[in-house]
Amino acid sequence: MGRVRSLAYLGYRALVAHPLRRLFRQGSGSERFLASYAPEGLSPTSPDDRAAGEAASACISCGLCESACPLAAVAPSVRDLGLHAAFRLYSKSSLALGPGAEGLEACSSCGGCESLCPTGVPIARLVRSFAARARGGAPA
Amino acid sequence: MAEEAAPILCDVLVVGGGMAGAIAALAARDAGARVVLVRRAPGSTGLSGGAISVAHDPSALPEVPFAGRAGVVESARRVAATVAGHPYQVLRDSLDRLWNAVEFASGQLSHVLAPPTGRNRWLLTPFGKVHPAATCQRSMVAGDLAEARGRMAVVAARGHLWWDAGLVASGAARARHLGAPEVQVALLDLFMWEEAALARPVDLARLLEAPGAAEQVGELLAERLPRGSTVALFPPVLGLTPEARVAERIEGRAGIPVAEFLSDVPSVPGLRLQRAIDLRLGAAGVEVLRGEVREASALALEARVGGRKVVAKSWVLATGRFAGGGIARRGELVEPALGLPVLASEGPFAEAGARLAARSPWALTVRDSRSPQPLLSAGLKVDGELRPLDAEGRVVNPRLFAAGAVVGGHDQASDGTGMGVAIFTGWLAGRAAAGVARAQRALPGVG
Repeated sequence: MGRVRSLAYLGYRALVAHPLRRLFRQGSGSERFLASYAPEGLSPTSPDDRAAGEAASACISCGLCESACPLAAVAPSVRDLGLHAAFRLYSKSSLALGPGAEGLEACSSCGGCESLCPTGVPIARLVRSFAARARGGAPA
Repeated sequence: MAEEAAPILCDVLVVGGGMAGAIAALAARDAGARVVLVRRAPGSTGLSGGAISVAHDPSALPEVPFAGRAGVVESARRVAATVAGHPYQVLRDSLDRLWNAVEFASGQLSHVLAPPTGRNRWLLTPFGKVHPAATCQRSMVAGDLAEARGRMAVVAARGHLWWDAGLVASGAARARHLGAPEVQVALLDLFMWEEAALARPVDLARLLEAPGAAEQVGELLAERLPRGSTVALFPPVLGLTPEARVAERIEGRAGIPVAEFLSDVPSVPGLRLQRAIDLRLGAAGVEVLRGEVREASALALEARVGGRKVVAKSWVLATGRFAGGGIARRGELVEPALGLPVLASEGPFAEAGARLAARSPWALTVRDSRSPQPLLSAGLKVDGELRPLDAEGRVVNPRLFAAGAVVGGHDQASDGTGMGVAIFTGWLAGRAAAGVARAQRALPGVG
């Protein structure tokens, strides 16, 4: 009996409630996404973010990039966390970028890291993109 | 209108600037060819621990003392006899020239590499293992457990968490009955300058390069090292550049031999080796281009590097494997530079010579972590002259050679033959490519 009721409810959702909601829904897709997910700390993934994430996924965490990073020698936030940690943090959640924001902001895009990356991660571009995200995505 | 720059013409184009590519370029240069080398960034040579592992005897019992182990070439022969598909087996007819290749490499890089002796040196890793290497950097020689006599002091810096000197020393203690010297840990107030306490290996290496820093460490050693110590074994931070001569400067003040143990990544000795390679390439007259090879064709052997066309009479592909980017995983395994087929040469797919590009990488791992992993030894298949083969076993292009980890059949990260294969295949491929280029030049109407 419970099974029939469950199926009837699913049918009602699929055939009546969902089409009606689609007819009368308000706001753009990203607005609705934000309304649903922003309270949980999730921000929408733009095509740029997706491209950055895919480029970052080539990182093998070898740490060679840091050996050419002048910031790593002077900025405690970069030195303690490490540049490649930014990729790992990013892969978990953009909220986790907060602790690295100071280091990301301080990057002068000298490109020393990129010339040492074995797997060709476009590090300078990623750092810029992460920094923008850390600025925009940091919790209030 | 932007006019296109004139194409770069050369005899031999080497793609990849790690050990295999560098030795190929130097060998071709040595044979009189005009060589262009294209490199993007360091790969597994830059990530290596800095020693040159060529082969160790796979059949040796662990209780055999260091002095009783087979020599390097004999060990390579035993690898060739036991590991199916290993480059040493593919090249078994040329194995008697392996030692020429090793001597060529250590001669070319003599400012950083110690001369090889024919037997393996036994070096300590940061994790307390003992690792055999045909040769190593000059800054590591005094740490050879088979040679060192007396009492070795593993130097630990008070307050630094990066290395565990006790772990390193325990590795030597376990190897006592194999011929290792007595070892103790010496805790010193090293690297106590401001900010140095938190520094990482590259930072420490730079600190030691500074004028006076290595001398200061040497004086501290002379003062504080336990009585009776005959060798001081340092963490692998003795300078990023070979020219800084950090080990020698410490030795000069300390009065005893100084060595560093092997490194994990990011590796100062690996970066030093890569730097030494770059210096040598420049000095030998190899034209080095920075950038990636694009629009490359395996049939025409033409490509673009940074917008400029490069035309060569022969090619050596030495792009490495997963770390160097010579083999990449894009849903499936591919060889990105020329699109050559990636093949398995061990494990369940070996007999079929299966084309790995059609399989997902996780299907190529074996659950038992001790058994050979087809994924880790995946790469190009080559004939006995190092020419890559297509899926049907035909030579792709008689003017195209492959060297180093892009050649499959060995797990270069763990089987102890990675640098040896890079040097041997690089040397053979470089000479072969120079020979092909010479023959092309002799033909009328070509080149």
